Amino acid sequence: MAKFLFVVPPFFGHISPTLSVGATLLQRGHKVVWTGLQPLAPHHIPEGGVWITPEEELAPHREAIARVLKRQDDGPNISGAEALKLALEETYAPFCRWMMPGVSRIADNFQPDVIVSDCITWAGAICAYSKGIPYATTTPVPPGIVGEEMLETPKINAWQNALITGLQQEFGIYTDAHIVNSPQLNIVFTSAEFAGCTKPPPHMQFTGPVKGRPNNAPFDWDKLAAMPSPKVYASIGTLLVNIRKEFFSKLVTAFGNTPVTIVAATHPGIMEEWPSNFIVQDFVPQSAVMAQMDAVICHGGFNTVNDTFLHGLPMIITPIAYDQFHTASLIERAGCGIKLRYKRLRIPDLQQALHNVLHNPQYRLAAQRIRETYINAGGNDAAVFHLEQFAAANKTSTHLTNANSHI
Amino acid sequence: MDHLTPATRLSSDEIFVVLKQFITEVIGAEFADGLDISKDSTFTRDLEMDSIELVAFSEKVKQHFGTGIDFTGWLSNMDIDQLIALNLNNIIQYIQQCQ
Repeated sequence: MAKFLFVVPPFFGHISPTLSVGATLLQRGHKVVWTGLQPLAPHHIPEGGVWITPEEELAPHREAIARVLKRQDDGPNISGAEALKLALEETYAPFCRWMMPGVSRIADNFQPDVIVSDCITWAGAICAYSKGIPYATTTPVPPGIVGEEMLETPKINAWQNALITGLQQEFGIYTDAHIVNSPQLNIVFTSAEFAGCTKPPPHMQFTGPVKGRPNNAPFDWDKLAAMPSPKVYASIGTLLVNIRKEFFSKLVTAFGNTPVTIVAATHPGIMEEWPSNFIVQDFVPQSAVMAQMDAVICHGGFNTVNDTFLHGLPMIITPIAYDQFHTASLIERAGCGIKLRYKRLRIPDLQQALHNVLHNPQYRLAAQRIRETYINAGGNDAAVFHLEQFAAANKTSTHLTNANSHI
Repeated sequence: MDHLTPATRLSSDEIFVVLKQFITEVIGAEFADGLDISKDSTFTRDLEMDSIELVAFSEKVKQHFGTGIDFTGWLSNMDIDQLIALNLNNIIQYIQQCQ
């Protein structure tokens, strides 16, 4: 039995895989605690797990936290370079400073064997490093956040480096190495093949997506069965509220009253009227619906992308903001979909792309190849295996390390 | 071979017309028409150009204004705030300096 402390950001796409891995750890008799900046609805937390929001330490920062969370909605309206600044300077670095006291107290009380810190909640890593606690990283998306949305220059790389080393120094860590992600174990919830890492360094463990959060939303299966094929699922996830209407309006213009059925995952109220070949529902049992689909149109949110691959479906990906551009490039490189940048989305291109992914078997075959790599990556079992190994290996060496640190 | 006083030294407005044409070619007329492209337009925010479009644009600039213009090299020397603020005026001035 070991004790694991997960440190996560207030973004559900990052939290979700840790809940799945945590559930498996709990089933195997380990103790698991999560901590984050915002409380999480109790029904999300796996049985036996504990979620702690360090309210006392966070109280002075509540307004600032709310402001940062609100700022994330700007993603679609700002350039890639501005989004990178927003992420590093206005989000990750302040999150780290605000979380540090609470994470530190929770670590002192819980005495975890391993701190598992999300790739953007650097407080978990810095706290673990300072206290000599072994730590791992979880990375929900393929590593590399910039993609083709912006130019990368030497000065931009230097700025990123200085920001991270400067933050580390604020907490008394004087090294040129970046310790905000674990150099010993980094669990990535995709496959190395999809991420384009042909020779990943040994601490990078690609486990594919993890499962364990059943989605039992009701759905009218009879209605879907009665609709004509091909059937296409369209979603831009749960965020990006502001552009929801614009996005689905484009789909209606492109595919309304054509011989294809579109299942649109959005609140029906965003439009006054929907064409009869659209099924529109806010919360859908996404994975079960995909089992009935021929293709997917999405913005590149990783939850939807992973579900699409697990069903071996070709996709059209319309990246809007953040890491979606990088994901879209990887999908195009893997040959399993067509990338159409949202800001240059033309209706004829959309129609042509759907025709291609539906009728050119290469896309489906490529998607099925990625599906194979996902299944072979091992999922929950692999992630838990690596965490258990890591905890066991460090338990035996901790005493030595502590002894050496006094020399 | 007198490079110091080229007869074809272009004015700011003349360069702007050419750059605007290149932008239209790169992002597509249907998107360019919806944008009010001016000398103050920023490439990343106002024109929403990504790195692929910027590189395609810089290739056109290089071909048109001559290989003596190391536009790509000039871009790659920028920091993030310069890249965010980069507008048509900056490029017009750069081209004039190189002429």
